Order: sequence, then C-alpha cells, then structure tokens
Amino acid sequence: MNDEVNQEVIVARGVKRTYSDNGVPVEAVRGIDLIITRGEFTAIVGPSGSGKTTFLNLISGLDPVSEGEVRLNGKKLSAMSGRELSDFRRDNIGFIFQAYNLIPVLTVEENIEYIMLLQGLSRQERHQRVEKILAEVKLEGYADRLPNKLSGGQRQRVAVARAMVSHPSIILADEPTANLDSKTGAELLDMMRNLNQTTGMTFVFSTHDEMIMERAERLIVLKDGLISSDETRQ
Amino acid sequence: MIITFIKLAWRNMFRNKRRTLIAGIAIGLGLASLIFVDALIIGMKINMVHSATASFLGEGQIHRKGFRDTHEVELTIADREKVISNLKQETIVERFTERVMSFGMITSPANVNSVTMFGIDPETEPYLSQIDEAIIEGDYFKGANKQNIVIGSKLAELLEVSLGDRVVLTVAQAHTGELSQELFRVSGIYYFNIREMDRGMAFIRLPKAQQMLALNSNIHEIAVKFTDTKFSQNKDLPFWDKYSQNGNEAAGWTTLVPQLEAALKFSDFGIFIVGIILFGVVSLGIVNTLFMSLHERMFEFGVLRAIGTRPFAMGRLVVFEAGALAIISIILGIIIGYIVTAIFSKVGIDYSGIELAGVTFKELLYPVMEIRQFILFPVIVFILTLVVGLYPAAYAARISPAKAMRTAA
Repeated sequence: MNDEVNQEVIVARGVKRTYSDNGVPVEAVRGIDLIITRGEFTAIVGPSGSGKTTFLNLISGLDPVSEGEVRLNGKKLSAMSGRELSDFRRDNIGFIFQAYNLIPVLTVEENIEYIMLLQGLSRQERHQRVEKILAEVKLEGYADRLPNKLSGGQRQRVAVARAMVSHPSIILADEPTANLDSKTGAELLDMMRNLNQTTGMTFVFSTHDEMIMERAERLIVLKDGLISSDETRQ
Repeated sequence: MIITFIKLAWRNMFRNKRRTLIAGIAIGLGLASLIFVDALIIGMKINMVHSATASFLGEGQIHRKGFRDTHEVELTIADREKVISNLKQETIVERFTERVMSFGMITSPANVNSVTMFGIDPETEPYLSQIDEAIIEGDYFKGANKQNIVIGSKLAELLEVSLGDRVVLTVAQAHTGELSQELFRVSGIYYFNIREMDRGMAFIRLPKAQQMLALNSNIHEIAVKFTDTKFSQNKDLPFWDKYSQNGNEAAGWTTLVPQLEAALKFSDFGIFIVGIILFGVVSLGIVNTLFMSLHERMFEFGVLRAIGTRPFAMGRLVVFEAGALAIISIILGIIIGYIVTAIFSKVGIDYSGIELAGVTFKELLYPVMEIRQFILFPVIVFILTLVVGLYPAAYAARISPAKAMRTAA
C-alpha cells in the first residue's frame, strides 16, 4: 500500500477553480479527481476553454484551488506559503511552455543553469549538468548562444533542458509543440519520451497536438472543466 | 546568485535601448540640472559677496561702538594708532584702509543735494574698493591737489556739473556742530551701476575730510580685506573680539549687511527646493520606466516565478534594474552636467545690473564646479532610484505566476 502511495506523484481531489470575470463567476475547473503516478507520460486534451491549462496551473501550484485539494509528491500545495511554493516548484517541477519562454538576455547555458542557481548548486556541478543535458537534447556547442540565435525547435529543446536539468520528478508541458513544425515537434516529443523512459520522470502535457496524443500512454480528456474520459494505453 | 541577477538586470536594461536611453537622458538631465543649479548658486553667492564687499564695503570693518547706528561725527575709533599698529601685524589681514565719513550737502551753481562724504586714502583705498576702476571721466586723485573731489555720475547729473566744475561741500564739525564749507573741483566721475553710490556719495582726501570735520587724525572707519574670504564669514573668528575692545566694534560683512547673509541662506534653501522638485520628476520617470518594462515582460516574470524564483528575488531583480538604470542615468547626467557647467563657468552668465538683497551684480556670474556635485548628487540619485524602485519591486514580488502568464497571453 505504501509503495503504491509513494508512486502517486500528483493527486487531485475534488479540485475546482472559479474565476471572476468582471464580477461574473466563471467555473474553469468544476471538480476533478485524478491520480498520476511516477513515470507516466500523460496527455490532458480537450477543446479550448475546457480547463486544460487551468488544471495544469492548479496541479503545479501556480494558481490556488477554489475547492478541493492537490498533493504533489505527498505535499499539500494549499498548505504552503508563497516562498515554500516557489521552492517546491523549483525542486519538484519542470515547466515547458508553448512560447519557449527562455530569458532572452541570458545565453543557452545561463538559461539552463538558472534553476540550479536558485537551488544553490556549485559552479562545477552546474557546468557538468549543463554539458550533460545539452548533449541529451543534442545542442552541444550552443551553450554561449542567445535564444534569438536559435531556431524554434532548438529553443524548445533548451526549454526542455531547463525543465529537466534540476532533476524534477514532474515535467509539466503546456502545448510544447504548438509553435513547431510537425517534423521538429515529432523529434522533440521522441526526445522527451526517450528522457521519460530513461529518467523515469513524470510528463504531463496539456495539448491539442495529435502527435502527443499518439505518444501518450495515458489520455485524459477534459470537457467543460470535468474529466470526460481517462484512457490508459499500452 | 546575486551576480546573475545583476547581470540579468543590466542586460534587461538594453533590451529596449531607445526607452532606456530616453529614460536615462531624462533622469540624467535632472541630475545635470541639479549640478548646474548648485554650481550657479555657488557662483551667485561668490558674486554677491564680491559685489557687496569689493565695491566699497570691505570684508570687515572697525568702528567706534554706536557709529554704525548714529553716524555721529564724534564717534571716532578709539586708540587709532594702536589699532592700526595691531592690524599691520595680523597675518590674516591682507589690506586695510582708513576712512572718515559724514552726511553733508553738496552745492553747485545749478543745484543742491544731500550726500555722504567720505574721506579716503587714495593710496590704500583701491585695495579695498573699486572706485578707481569705476571712473568713467577724469581720474582718481591724481596729483596732490587737496581740493579734488570724486563724485558719482548720477550726482553729477543732478548737480549739472562736469569735470573741472566747482562744487561746495558743507558738513557739520565734530563736538561744536559748526558748519564747515570747502570749495572742491570735480576731478573724477564714477559709475558703479549702484544707485545709492552713484547718486549719494562723494570722495575727498582723508586729511582734508579730517580737517573739515575737526577730527585731527581721528577716523570713523577701517575697512579690512582678509587673506581668505572665508575669514569674513566666520562669526567666531577671534579677530572680531580682539578689535571689539575699548569702545570699538569689529564686524564682518555678514553683520554689516545682514540681508545679504539672509539671501545666501535663502539660496541654500532654493537649491534644496530645486533638488526636491528635480528628484520628484526623476522619481516619476524611474517608476514609469520600470513599470513599463515590467508590464512589457509580464509573461517572463510569470515564467520566472513559475520555475521557482522567490517573490523576494523577483523584487530584488526589479531593484537591480532600477540600479542599472540609475548607473546609466548618472553617467549621462555627469557628462551633460559637466559639459554645460564647464561651458558656463568659462563664458559666464550676464546678470550685471540686477539687484538682489540690496546687492547689485556688477560682474559676470560664473558657475563654480565642485567635486562634491559630482559625488554627492549622483549618490543621492542612485539611492533615490533604488528607493523609488521598491514600489515596482513590491509589485513584481506580488505577481501571481498564473495570472501574469494569463494576462500577458
């Protein structure tokens, strides 16, 4: 039983999120119960406005839940202060966003080592990890480049490297292939799937992309803020 | 980590070069204005003090106690010889001159006017006053003619006299009050551009004045010039006590012309007010620039928060950006301030003829640059920028990552 609980990386129980839109309450997430276990490669799909991104924000602690409870690695997010949440995200979650969102004034190496700087890792440790992860995402020789000197695919690979370099247990990716052509997107997904299998990190995608759906081993469909189907594939 | 944040802040400043340059110039102009205004006020003070003391007053004066209030002819300096002898020994005294003075009447064939008659020593007086330099017609007591008189241009106009014309000077003698009259020949006419001096003063030789007033060798006034003007402004200078004995009193220009000292203090207050206004404008510029930059990068701030940057660190980043902006602005401000002040300190600004606190500016006003202006004011601007940066920093620290990314998207 304990082993089973330890494998539960993300636990959402009765999660609701209501926004106020010019004074009108909008229920973006209307009560989701979900458990994601270690090493899963999960895609959350659904039409625009179904609550995918909101749910991703709730399970990462970027947004507070209106009702219900979210536990990550056994820790209740709503019990944490702003500073504790920052530290928790830094150490446990890697983020990949649709628009790459690298810091444009920092080089590839500086972007990747940013989180490790926040963690207080030594210069040597940071350098070693950056070199290793750049090799894994096939960007050797790009360490000193600024993001604007990279292609879209390369930037997203840097974003993947930044998300993974601190060895988080969860990678949350919001439409990571939306700005990429299909070939580059497929390469990136294959790379992430490979990293998922070799490192055992949990990947959760919010997406419309069929390529991700094809590769996902679990497909959760959201509709109007609720899970309409949850399918695990072999 | 701090170094990374400083690096990040510095590079962020150059993401929008045009905006940073415009903001830097605006803040820099504020700093440059402060440097220039301060230099101008220092120059103005020097000019005012010089105009007040160098024309005729001297930096300090010695009188018999009560003379300054009553101008009674009998109130001559006590122990004149001893005072003169002591003054000659003073290391801080560069020059001094003796004078007698009395109110009287001056009469020409055409008109009559009240006048303050001064008996002066033509040899020592030029070191203490500028009568010789202000001569526009004739000369300044050339030769040994005891009946020469030098009058102001306005007085000459009133009396309708010109060089070589005769005038009669009437004064009351000491002790007896007997009227004493002498005929003089106008040998010089001066123009100070100071109404009271040009219209109401007449100068004759000291011995003649002493004779007319029946003072023997006694005098009413000793005007003193110090080796350094700072001595005259020091009210605690032992000199004043030393020469304020035996019924005499010694006083510097700050006591003799109190309105001038008040004006100088007011100008110090002026720089304070100007500073407040300029710093206020600068502060608004800083806040505006930082908020513009912050809103422009809202998604990025959201991402930074999302990946684990603590709220305090977000605020610190904004404060560092404020510091980076301050450094750019200070460099620009120092360059602009130095160039503008240096130019005007060479060419001067013409305020001549303008009267302030009873002092008429006679010379060009030269702003005075001091190292303090290029250290103190930039330090104030830097600290102020950091303090003002706390407001947008607090805003950045409170950014909700999800809201920031949602808003920006």
